[in-house]
Amino acid sequence: MYSRLNSRPFFFLLGLLFNATAIMLVFILWAYSPFVKAQEKTDGSNVENKNSASSAWSTAKDLLDNLQIQGFASQAFIATSDNDVFGNTDEGGGFGFTELGLNALLRPLPRLQLSGQMLSRRAGKDNNGTPRLDFAFFDYRLYSHETNQFGIRFGRLKNPFGFYNDTRDVPFTRPSILLPQSIYFDRTRNVGLSADSIQFYGETSDAQWGDLTIQFGITRPIVDDRDTEISLLGSALTGGLSPDVSLIGRGLYETPNKRFRFAVSGVWFNADYKPGANDPITVSPGSIQFSPIYISAQYNTERWSLTSEYALRKFRYSNFDFARLDSQDFYGESFYFQGEYRFNHKWEALIRYDVLYTNRSDRDGSEFAAASITGTPAHSRFAKDLTVGLRWNITPRIMARLEYHRINGTAWLAPLDNPDPLDTSKNWNLFAAQLSFRF
Amino acid sequence: MRKQNTNYLCILLISLFFAIAETKAESSYQIVTHPDVNEASISKNYLRAIFSMRLRTWPNGLIIKVFVLPDDNPLHHSFSKEQLSLFPYQLRQSWDRLVFSGTGQAPTTVSSNEEMHAKIKNTPGAIGYIETSYIDDEIHVLQIK
Repeated sequence: MYSRLNSRPFFFLLGLLFNATAIMLVFILWAYSPFVKAQEKTDGSNVENKNSASSAWSTAKDLLDNLQIQGFASQAFIATSDNDVFGNTDEGGGFGFTELGLNALLRPLPRLQLSGQMLSRRAGKDNNGTPRLDFAFFDYRLYSHETNQFGIRFGRLKNPFGFYNDTRDVPFTRPSILLPQSIYFDRTRNVGLSADSIQFYGETSDAQWGDLTIQFGITRPIVDDRDTEISLLGSALTGGLSPDVSLIGRGLYETPNKRFRFAVSGVWFNADYKPGANDPITVSPGSIQFSPIYISAQYNTERWSLTSEYALRKFRYSNFDFARLDSQDFYGESFYFQGEYRFNHKWEALIRYDVLYTNRSDRDGSEFAAASITGTPAHSRFAKDLTVGLRWNITPRIMARLEYHRINGTAWLAPLDNPDPLDTSKNWNLFAAQLSFRF
Repeated sequence: MRKQNTNYLCILLISLFFAIAETKAESSYQIVTHPDVNEASISKNYLRAIFSMRLRTWPNGLIIKVFVLPDDNPLHHSFSKEQLSLFPYQLRQSWDRLVFSGTGQAPTTVSSNEEMHAKIKNTPGAIGYIETSYIDDEIHVLQIK
């Protein structure tokens, strides 16, 4: 199974992370020693006094005690009846989906956390396994009293929306091999994944009522990859997208036993188009506004987790001075219902129904198809996916998964992998198996 | 009629089993800290916030260091269900969310009561749970209000 697994990105990733960690450690060691002394003064009785000879060593040791490193590696096999998902999958399947990640969390001071994660993802034409910096940020707790906290995060951060987006590339945190694509598109994933931002967060907890967590961020989204540009503008336009100031926020409420979890998230995403020299049509530097709102709910028992999420996604294209783009002002709609059942701590089953409408006022895509000059089929504007899956936790560190999708529509297919919409099939099946390891 | 009686008997036996399990479990472990943690007792909500890894420091400024037994350990199951009212899978999910979004850390997993004792004794700010028979003067028992 691993014969075709490309090991190069992994070592590259490893090297990068170690370098980054080493630089971070040296920097922290240098910055840390005065703080330790300050802490000793304030906490006097609690922290062991260190004599000066051993202080450098114990500082390093303290730091290592406050450092956590973890990672994961995952390889999937995907086969489809028609259409391609993460490689050429409709001719017997392929091992084109590999995920690797390495993560370091350092708490040099009680109030400060430094976090970084490198990811390598090999999945179809847009993700070739090149390691990317997924997040790297400072998290400073400004206020902490009993179970109430308030803090600020600064750097490249995961975009907090829905239940799964923050950890969407970590197989162990997902309910299935492929997340519900109606909400967590993989075709425009880099926009959704993370962004350079300043984020404020607050948490409060009440014994009777439960926990409330609120995050609010001002971001600069990442929009410069080709798949995102094609998804947002079509493949004809050759210019580039540049990010504009964007906003993101999420409120999450959980009952004390996390039996019920509710979240509302919203994004106000802005990007500008800079026309390319070879554009086949003349368009002005227009802007794209994408403002989805997500509603998420979950009910948990010892054996069952029932989850549902709904998204209403507003798109608005303006100032392109080109009617076909400027008329793009519509709402997309997505939702899914999902049940997970735990037979015991080793075996879990999954069933899910996931629906995506690119434009909710043209759900069957007929108006779009009628207006299309190139004859793009109606089924490219919706996707209904019935999924069943099985998860086997072989050990707490190793997990195996199987899943089967029965899909009607192609709305979430990646255009780079399926360049000709006329070549896609409306009704298709997907089978996937995955083996994942964590440490 | 006979069937109904059998049903009642079953319910009784099951409740009895739970009652026994409950009393047994309650007396078999304690929540313990490093002696430097100057807390005699904390609320259940505070305990849950600590084990959900949302709190970073004790009121006296020490960094909180959380130790747990592996996810499939029976004592870990009893502790999460009885003290936190959470299932072990819920704890693991919330720790994973913190770790892999970079917004928190996960507890340190120890493999046995012996290792738990050693970690609690030697780590300032440490909190964990341990079978009652392992409790001695070197670690501090924390009461839950």
